[in-house]
Amino acid sequence: MLRLWPLRQVVSSAGARFIPACQKSTAPEPAPELVEVFVNDKQVFVEPGTTVLQACAVAGIEIPRFCYHERLSIAGNCRMCLVEVERSAKPIASCAMPVMKGMKVKTDSPVTKKAREGVMEFLLMNHPLDCPICDQGGECDLQDQSMNFGSDKSRFTDIAFTGKRAVEDKNVGPLVKTIMTRCIHCTRCIRFASEVAGVEDLGTTGRGNEMQVGTYVEKMLQSELSGNVIDLCPVGALTSKPYAFTARPWETRKIESIDVMDALGSNIVVSMRTNEVMRVLPRVNEDINEEWISDKTRFAYDGLKRQRLTTPFLKDANGQLMQTDWESAFLAIARKLQGVEGSQMAAVAGGLVDAEALTSLKDLMNRLGCETLCTEEIFPMDGSGTDFRSNYLMNTTIAGVEEADVVLFIGTNPRFEAPVFNARVRKSWIHNDLKVAMIGAPVDLTYEYEHLGETVDVIEKLAGGNHPFCKVLESAKRPMVVMGSSCLQRSDGSALHFMVSTLANRVKAASGADAEWRVLNVLHRVASQVAALDLGYSAGVSGVREAKPQMLFLLGADEGAITRSDLADGAFVVYQGHHGDQGAQMADVILPGAAYTEKDATYVNTEGRAQLTRQAVTPPGMARNDWKVLRALSELLGVTLPYDKLQEVRQRMAEISPTLVRVGEIEEANFFKQAIEATKAGKTSLGKEPLVPPQQVLKDFYMTDSITRASPTMAKCVQAATEAESSVH
Amino acid sequence: MAATLTSRLFGQISSSVRNGIRRSYAAASGGTMTTQPGEEDKVTTITVEDKMDITPLTGVPEEHIKTRLVRICVPARNAMQSGTYGTRRWKIEFDVRERWENPLMGWISTGDPLSNTEVTFSSKDDAMAFCEKNGWEFFVEEPKKTSFKKKSYGDNFSWDKRTRRSTK
Repeated sequence: MLRLWPLRQVVSSAGARFIPACQKSTAPEPAPELVEVFVNDKQVFVEPGTTVLQACAVAGIEIPRFCYHERLSIAGNCRMCLVEVERSAKPIASCAMPVMKGMKVKTDSPVTKKAREGVMEFLLMNHPLDCPICDQGGECDLQDQSMNFGSDKSRFTDIAFTGKRAVEDKNVGPLVKTIMTRCIHCTRCIRFASEVAGVEDLGTTGRGNEMQVGTYVEKMLQSELSGNVIDLCPVGALTSKPYAFTARPWETRKIESIDVMDALGSNIVVSMRTNEVMRVLPRVNEDINEEWISDKTRFAYDGLKRQRLTTPFLKDANGQLMQTDWESAFLAIARKLQGVEGSQMAAVAGGLVDAEALTSLKDLMNRLGCETLCTEEIFPMDGSGTDFRSNYLMNTTIAGVEEADVVLFIGTNPRFEAPVFNARVRKSWIHNDLKVAMIGAPVDLTYEYEHLGETVDVIEKLAGGNHPFCKVLESAKRPMVVMGSSCLQRSDGSALHFMVSTLANRVKAASGADAEWRVLNVLHRVASQVAALDLGYSAGVSGVREAKPQMLFLLGADEGAITRSDLADGAFVVYQGHHGDQGAQMADVILPGAAYTEKDATYVNTEGRAQLTRQAVTPPGMARNDWKVLRALSELLGVTLPYDKLQEVRQRMAEISPTLVRVGEIEEANFFKQAIEATKAGKTSLGKEPLVPPQQVLKDFYMTDSITRASPTMAKCVQAATEAESSVH
Repeated sequence: MAATLTSRLFGQISSSVRNGIRRSYAAASGGTMTTQPGEEDKVTTITVEDKMDITPLTGVPEEHIKTRLVRICVPARNAMQSGTYGTRRWKIEFDVRERWENPLMGWISTGDPLSNTEVTFSSKDDAMAFCEKNGWEFFVEEPKKTSFKKKSYGDNFSWDKRTRRSTK
């Protein structure tokens, strides 16, 4: 608005009046004036711009809805949320209407009730009556809302003449089953695909009664987050293909747990029936996964039933692994270990191991005099290495992306290494105009980013301040540098880490970021890594290769980092884990352990947040909880571990690192400057090869660990994604 | 925690047992017992200063007191639905014991008498007090808060923002 100064002021300021230098008041901005709204005569105060539906939620009243979803844009097309507002000619759609001062909303007036009944009647007119065979039955919004808000009788009599509308089912891949006749056109799936998942595959064709939701041409829904449309669908139009016709929601027990398929530690609910995992659903956690989970998290559960180790195995005289019992397996280990010195032993922990088992293994091996305990995943150990937590954590936190204004990805493909985190970056890119840049092989992140190059010299230039992008980083208020742990697997990993840390510290100093803001982030790929580093494992198996041990203990190490040729001749290999994968193949003794759904355990995510999984099912056969196996073994080896109960193991964990027992919380990691000063000594040279993340396209995403490799659903996904690559659409 | 028991609570317990309990409470907890003269049976109040422990009374085997770990939590909302029913009350969950397939019918059996126990509470403190008096070790998981998100229908049509929607 153009506002002219009053003449009086212009005249007076022409004189020798003091004009203060500060144009803006330094006092904190006053909170916006709250708007007074009455919901059923109950007074509530809400921020201006709040929708009527949200204001009702503040008043404790839930408005029925189909199309509205908290985390999607407002569509306003289902009309279920109609409410009466005083002095309004018609009922209003509360999901799209902003509140106004003194608005009087009536959520159970006759007008509102009639409006809801009318909407329900129209929706049910074309909805099939197949609730008894529908997978959504029992947890269907349409079912519940027609019971609560619908009419008690039907006026639909046309069934013999034209019948109900029928729509052909679509084939959108091996994960999502579609029964499109049930669709009520809420467009939640379309909005999810285009807003959150970032694939513009879904859309509508036709209008009115002829409207159809689909992919226009027959193609797979090519997204790593596609399973979430199953949750979003308020009816049974989109359901889970692997879960189809297997269980009803009222039969299952719901166990709140944590996912281990990536390093984010997404919160999940495991549905259990008859001692089997029936499905995995997301659980809301605003700090980590909001309400989404990746397809690997959701659908890899059938891998928990295949390729499992159910009994201990022992190699016989012919070199054949034979089934045995716990006692003889333990005795065989104890016999072999007699006379083997601690320095001749080594242990390697894999990517799915919990903190309790890691603690027990470390205590056991240390008691035997062994100090070579490694993780399969490499992380640079030169200089300050893993001495400072800030070196290996995602320090900005996952939710911190929403406050950031520039993100620089280095050598990572967050879309497949941490899909939910990538969705969060995309959310920030949409709503906060986040600027994203990337160094590494160009991959599709579902949002636009500035590609700075593929090779390491770009980082060098950035760290030295001679790159045009430095200006962007320096002008940022809250910059983030995210380094993928996959790029640290290279031989020049430590130099890379040092260079990125230098860059982060430089950006922090040059930009206007406040003291509390942390720039350096490491995005891990496996769930166990942070806990292992917290517990003092050395990252990477180079120590084992140097030691050439007589005895090797593999705890869920299935990525094949160590082979027989790295060990002494005739070395004795013990494998403990849940799947018969690469680790079990090279073992002399196999001890069956429990998978993440079968134990109460602690996992620490890439932010350094400890979280607890809950036992949903009993481990199959003779398999046992991992820390208990190690505790039992320690007794036979004559070095009994001093804990018998889970709580006692956790006490021991607290002794080593209190962060491991502070469940759900993040302990801030600092000492960035000190970390880099300590690293200067052990600097190696940077390589010339481009930074190529191992997961580049969708088909690389599905099979990454022993559980997903055993999963038939994931195998189907790989096949479908491979076929989709060559498809013309 | 101080709990008040009146003698009427123990009306059905024989007097010798009652006296024993009363004595043990007063002795064990260092509590005070006030008896008004002449009205011994009517208004006898025992104030227990310490936390209450009913494990000697409940008859629960020691195995299911000493070895159990209880999780106190608010159940998560079902991601499949938009309603929030069943996510307001606190609940206790026991650690899971072994289940096995019953050889007779192939159904799943458990030897755990507490596996089907479902108790809800209106507050965290109630749940904690319940676990304390039953002698169970417990930990509390705070419910995950959802944050308020400002939303506007107009964002779909903004001309200079990425919130503009092209698909419908």
